[in-house]
Amino acid sequence: MPAIEAEGIVRSYGDHRGLDRFTLLIPTGCIFGLLGPNGSGKSTFLSLVAGAERPDDGTLRVFDSDPAPALRRRMGMVFQESTLDPVTTVGENLEVAGRLFGLTRAMCRKRGVELLEQFGLADRYDAPVAQLSGGMRRRVEMVRALLHDPDLVLLDEPTTGIDPGERQAIWEALAAWPASGRTVVVATNDLVEADGVCDAAAFLREGCVAAMGTPAELKAGLQREAVWLEWPNAQESDLEAVWKWSSVGSVTAEDGTVQLTVDDATSVVPRLFRIPGADIRGVRIHPATLEDAYFHHVGVPMAHDDPEAPL
Amino acid sequence: MNAILILLERDLRAVLRARSQLYSSVITPLIFLVFLGAGVTHGLQPANLPAGNFTAYLVPGVIVMTLVFSSTFSSASYYRDRDSGILRIFLSSPHPARRILLGKSLAGVVIGVLQAIVVLAVAAPFVDFEWQHGFIAGVAIAVATMALTALLLAGVAQVLASRIQSMQGFHLVMNLVLFPLLFFSGAFFPIADVPTWLEILARINPLTYAVDALQLAVYAGDDAGFIGLWVDFGVLTALAVGVYALSFVRVPRLTWSGQ
Repeated sequence: MPAIEAEGIVRSYGDHRGLDRFTLLIPTGCIFGLLGPNGSGKSTFLSLVAGAERPDDGTLRVFDSDPAPALRRRMGMVFQESTLDPVTTVGENLEVAGRLFGLTRAMCRKRGVELLEQFGLADRYDAPVAQLSGGMRRRVEMVRALLHDPDLVLLDEPTTGIDPGERQAIWEALAAWPASGRTVVVATNDLVEADGVCDAAAFLREGCVAAMGTPAELKAGLQREAVWLEWPNAQESDLEAVWKWSSVGSVTAEDGTVQLTVDDATSVVPRLFRIPGADIRGVRIHPATLEDAYFHHVGVPMAHDDPEAPL
Repeated sequence: MNAILILLERDLRAVLRARSQLYSSVITPLIFLVFLGAGVTHGLQPANLPAGNFTAYLVPGVIVMTLVFSSTFSSASYYRDRDSGILRIFLSSPHPARRILLGKSLAGVVIGVLQAIVVLAVAAPFVDFEWQHGFIAGVAIAVATMALTALLLAGVAQVLASRIQSMQGFHLVMNLVLFPLLFFSGAFFPIADVPTWLEILARINPLTYAVDALQLAVYAGDDAGFIGLWVDFGVLTALAVGVYALSFVRVPRLTWSGQ
């Protein structure tokens, strides 16, 4: 039985379609990534799964049931914004939530201490929330979501607003969670970091699923390295010629940005600069990731927080 | 039921932790009682009071004032929980939103009644109460009046909180609505001999019945010049149950993004 089955879901907000004939199947026991830029429908989908709102059309089944408040007993949620009570301790935050899910005070403490240790927060049970860093708070929220041992965990942008060191700790904690049949759905626009964590993922764009599969499947067809070029005057004939070079796997262009996947960037990049009239203003080279796969499948690059940032 | 008790306990703890709020809710009315009571008793020597001196007369009104303060402070916890985001965690539990809200608002009622009892307990040894129904019955009537009044005020606060987005706006409206009601309730001066227009205002004011019941419970030597306990309890019960029930018509829902 899949954890979540969505078939042709439509969810509109006035004239805007948050989800547009959205179809997705998430198996049990995996870490599944909902990957896409802001506004692609990730949070809308999580909201429907949590039963906070209902689809206008289509079918959504969570553990073969309609999403309803009673089903939340099997779910843990981490929202994009902070949801810790800042004037109490870590333990008090865990306790009030755990007890609402049927745990006793003693169970909250025992399990809370264990989980905090797993998330690198040993001895923080009695610490005031106000003394924790943003990344620590986010890990406490993850512990709280796991406290009642849910079958399904929904994480919305778990590393947004967190500094790089803490982000790494969060993704490591996420990757280290014992699966034990639990399904984790993580919505993020950080495709590079999600690459090493997710067992499977869906690329979302404008409320639709553009592609779905394991990271390896999504990256199939890409070469070893990705070359991103800021190339405003790229001509179609030039790109066709580049695509025919022996070490180039794919060429995708959109709005002044060109992405190539190649076997060996050091041999390809100098040749690009020798193309007559090529006005290449920036180059970025890195091992091919889900971000490259997103561009490859969806045909547009992921929106970055800073659209003016150089490649 | 369990969810209600969990949130009731959690909000009670929060109030106990916020010591300054706790003390000011009790000390402010007591200071009011000492200075206004003593000042008016010695300076103006009011001859029209039904019994005792003005300080004794003020106690029931100050108890109602304590309940007004307390309901305002307690409702502010709704905004704090909403703004910190933890309200979403409560609402993402398997319990219906109404049960969550009931636990939180009952905490406000319990806190209000406890604070009002403290004011009565501190004042009672120092003023001349008549206890016309006897001490035990008088205290029982007073506590029942406090509970009904706290429930009514919690309902009013909850109705306003469900419709007003900002805490500042909420406090403004609470002050605009409840403090004038306090002045026209007989809390600070008897309403028996006031101009007709003021008497009409007092009669349609729910707090008048709370003050009257408390005065009859502790202060008055007989019922002359008062509305009467049966009427007071009839009005307070009807309003408390009605407004409190009404306050659960519109409850916050779980939202995934933001508020």
